[in-house]
Amino acid sequence: MRRMASESRRSQMLRGVLDLCLLAVVVDEPAYGYEMTRRLRDRGLSTVGEGSIYPLLGRLEREGLVATHREASDGGPPRKYYSASPSGRRALSEGVRAWRDVRGEVDSILATIEAEVTG
Amino acid sequence: MSSYVEECRREWKRLGVPDLLAEEMATELEADLAEAAAEGVAAAEILGESDPRRFAAAWASERGLVSEEPSQANSRKRLWILLAVGLVVLGLLLGIGGVVAFAKPKVSMKTFNGIKVNIHTVPAPNFVGLFTCEARTTARHMRLPIRTIPNAALHNRRCNTVVVSQTPGPGTFVRRNTPPIHLTGPVVTLRVSGRYSPEARSALRRLHRRWRRAQR
Repeated sequence: MRRMASESRRSQMLRGVLDLCLLAVVVDEPAYGYEMTRRLRDRGLSTVGEGSIYPLLGRLEREGLVATHREASDGGPPRKYYSASPSGRRALSEGVRAWRDVRGEVDSILATIEAEVTG
Repeated sequence: MSSYVEECRREWKRLGVPDLLAEEMATELEADLAEAAAEGVAAAEILGESDPRRFAAAWASERGLVSEEPSQANSRKRLWILLAVGLVVLGLLLGIGGVVAFAKPKVSMKTFNGIKVNIHTVPAPNFVGLFTCEARTTARHMRLPIRTIPNAALHNRRCNTVVVSQTPGPGTFVRRNTPPIHLTGPVVTLRVSGRYSPEARSALRRLHRRWRRAQR
């Protein structure tokens, strides 16, 4: 029960920043959908239980935060590659700043609680 | 997983996503799923949603390919249809009302032997003063069934009798037969003189001419 609640909290927190994470993995090098999932996984973030990245990519595309292009693949159909657009880079920069602010504020509160609990 | 993608295709089609974009998304998803399967990665990590319809709807909606929820679209469509039907019915009612209000009262419908036919009514002419044979010709032209009293006068070829009275009176609307069906029996009854009288004829003819002038 406690584990489920913990997963739900993680899911909720992640939902607010997953778009930033997606922008972050394509800011330097374009990637197609599954490759982005792989990059997230390689950096320690599993999206299992967080829903698919495709609807989120759809929103980023609609808002012009990612640019797309098609590229031939080995043997298969052409793949759709996503890369951060200039406005996507700006949004990422602002989002990271906001995330750091929030994280710092939350940390400053939770760190005390953690010290008390640990102590 | 191909069935999952097929379900997505169907959902996109149902939502009205343009074929080109639906195919693009389906191809992208298929390729990613195939690559994930080759690496032994669970499809759940890619899809995150076990219901293909919800997944497809969410993706299309986030891309801005679906303007509104289908249920909303359907209810709006139903509303427009109802409105259109209501307007048509209203138009018909107004049209029928106008026809009823402004139509000449001389035309009516009657079912005869299962066939609907128009029955016209016309104002009865003044037969008084006419020879019976003239009255008969006029009535035939106007398709008015007449009878005479005495009855034999109608078929009297010698035309030596004159109409002295008629029922109903001149100007009264009377029904007339509409070919090809003759519906009615006599509607105008003419009383004719038993024997031709020059004085009576002159008097009646004068009366008739006066009536004709008054009609003009």
